[in-house]
Amino acid sequence: MFKKGFLASSMAMILVLGILSGCTGNDSAKTNGKSKDQVEISVWLTPQWKGVMDGSEKGADYDSFLKHAGEKFAAQYKEHDVKVNVEVIAGDQRDELLNVNLNGGTPPDVFFESVFAMGDYVHRGALVPLNDIVDEKAKKDIAKNYWDSVTFGDDIYFYPFSHMPGTLAYNADMFKAAGLDEYIGDKNEIKTWKLADYEKILKALKKDLPKDKYPNAYPMALYALNNQGDTWNLAYFRMFGNPFFNDKGNIALNDANGIKAAEWMKKIYDSGLTNPGAESVSSNDANAMFQNQQLAISFTNSVLASNAKADMESGKAPKFDMRLANIPSESGKPLTFTYVTGAAVFNTEDKTRMKVSKDFVKFMSTDPELVKASKNGVPVRTSVAEEFKGDNPIFAAYDENAKYMFNFTGNVPGYSQLRQILYPELQALYTGEKTAEQIVKDYQEKGNQIIEESKANSVIYKK
Amino acid sequence: MVGNKNRNKKKKEKMDIISNGVVIFFALLSLFPLYWLMTSSLKNSSDVVKMPPDWIPKTISFENYVDVFNNQPALRWAFNSTYVSLVSTIALIMVSCLAAYAFSKLRFKGRNILFIIFISSLMVPKEVMIVPLFRIIQDFGMVNTLNGMIWPNVATAFGVFMLKGFFDAIPDSLRESAKMDGASEFTVFFKIMLPMVKPGIGALFILNFVQVWNDYLWQLVVGQDENSKTLMVGIATLMQDLNPNFAYKMAGATVAAVPMLLIFILFQRYFTKGISIGAVKE
Repeated sequence: MFKKGFLASSMAMILVLGILSGCTGNDSAKTNGKSKDQVEISVWLTPQWKGVMDGSEKGADYDSFLKHAGEKFAAQYKEHDVKVNVEVIAGDQRDELLNVNLNGGTPPDVFFESVFAMGDYVHRGALVPLNDIVDEKAKKDIAKNYWDSVTFGDDIYFYPFSHMPGTLAYNADMFKAAGLDEYIGDKNEIKTWKLADYEKILKALKKDLPKDKYPNAYPMALYALNNQGDTWNLAYFRMFGNPFFNDKGNIALNDANGIKAAEWMKKIYDSGLTNPGAESVSSNDANAMFQNQQLAISFTNSVLASNAKADMESGKAPKFDMRLANIPSESGKPLTFTYVTGAAVFNTEDKTRMKVSKDFVKFMSTDPELVKASKNGVPVRTSVAEEFKGDNPIFAAYDENAKYMFNFTGNVPGYSQLRQILYPELQALYTGEKTAEQIVKDYQEKGNQIIEESKANSVIYKK
Repeated sequence: MVGNKNRNKKKKEKMDIISNGVVIFFALLSLFPLYWLMTSSLKNSSDVVKMPPDWIPKTISFENYVDVFNNQPALRWAFNSTYVSLVSTIALIMVSCLAAYAFSKLRFKGRNILFIIFISSLMVPKEVMIVPLFRIIQDFGMVNTLNGMIWPNVATAFGVFMLKGFFDAIPDSLRESAKMDGASEFTVFFKIMLPMVKPGIGALFILNFVQVWNDYLWQLVVGQDENSKTLMVGIATLMQDLNPNFAYKMAGATVAAVPMLLIFILFQRYFTKGISIGAVKE
């Protein structure tokens, strides 16, 4: 009898103790702002670079820079005793985590991320303007096009820190093997080809690339499996002069130039000038194929390019002469874009924490030592770019290229949803399910519907 | 007559060889992704996408595993996953056994309606409940704790539904005889009924352990700091959108998959037995 009772009681005790330990186990619950002098802020980031200044540091990790910035900020901050908690989250976890935490009323205080991925949160009213922490000195040191990409309506919502320009990458060894020496640019140049030349290059790569040296190789990367790397696909739509967005912030792809661009993409695909099966190839696959010398021309950005070079140096990937080029256009004016990265402050409705968060963002974005870490991407500050030009000659080329940049998001509301409807249309184009005219028409219709609905809920458009 | 028997025997043997061949072929086919995952984790990133592929790695490197364990708190993540899965599953089995027994063998008012309401919760996907559940966990102060990942998984209808089928298969006369011999309800439950539903408990253990182990979304939103991340969430954090290291991903996925394989191999006997017994009600 005693045994039965004991067993039953034990089981109940285990459950009750478990629940109670859960109730008291709030080991990292925020005490944010509860004490007058102690303020804890949470800073989230997606992986950007390892280390404070670079990956060669001992114990270098993705959170090293912001942890260092947090400690430095806390040491000099007079108004409160501040603790900065830094969390790294994967890019594909960002929206799930943010949405649940926004609904739960516990968003992070600061988010350090690419602006294009966070624009929808501005329109939702989740972020606060940072106009009051941006001074004239910063405006002079950071070029206007970077400020434009972080400005929604009249307000600045992100403090630009670094950027990651997107270009094409090409295998100069494959070019040489195909007799295309005249089209190869300098090592630290971002080469510009006219569209007619680009077509010649693709055809020569298909015809003249030695099959024994480069078996199973294709001239150019083309992919449409998902929304990753879609910015390059968006750039191809602009090749014949289509502006993509009109002045009202709507999609204006459905014109003769937009259709021409879609037809061009289909034409090069059907002619075997790209990898086959584009509808089921992801940008990651394309990137890996390029690193494996199965593609002569692919997409890249500054981080991907330096990672690819590092992999070649360390022997993780086959070594070849990789160089950069702009996306060509019919007019001869090259196409390029950039992902500006910066910190944003969430509206947590806690005035103290929001004030401390803004002070932290200003500190990490202006401190003379900390801003040098932007060299891990490409610095947005002219002063930092100048300082590191010697070590990174490609900075000068990116700087020169800045004038060709277009704002690929148009800062329109619902941009993340626009990304979801693009690749199904591209898949339909490559599989022959739809014509070029049809995908351009359908994408514009669906896209503008999303934009209109998002505008109705956007705090920027409601102003 | 003898000739016919021999011919039939030979024909049967031939059929056996063919059917075994087909089974072996499909077994190998289904094992191939696992083989590819494990061998790719031992290659360089570029070798993973090589065309034509290296079916057998030319050079074997454990660098990706060293990276996973050296640069990340992978052991901590593995401990968290194991702890969360194990405690959730044990607690779920305790709760489910008691509830299933009550629904199956005890007669009380509203039993059937209560059971229907209870199992109707199976039709509501967890994703729908994420935000309200998160707010409850927040109010209990369980965000960033392993308990926050454990307790919402304990009182689920699936375990009760599954085990009720096993209890239903046991004749009521057994319980009645025991009661006539003076056994209490707890004695009947622990000494007679529980041993008879062991295969069901084994199957539920595996199914629930796997389900909790792979409960990515919930663990992601509850475990936001480095110390409370589980293996599934931690490994996913390693993946960067535009900087793919396929071999590193494969090593991470292997690390996340191996404990599952071990659990399955250890409990396979109960699993297969449990599934087949539960399928037939006599």
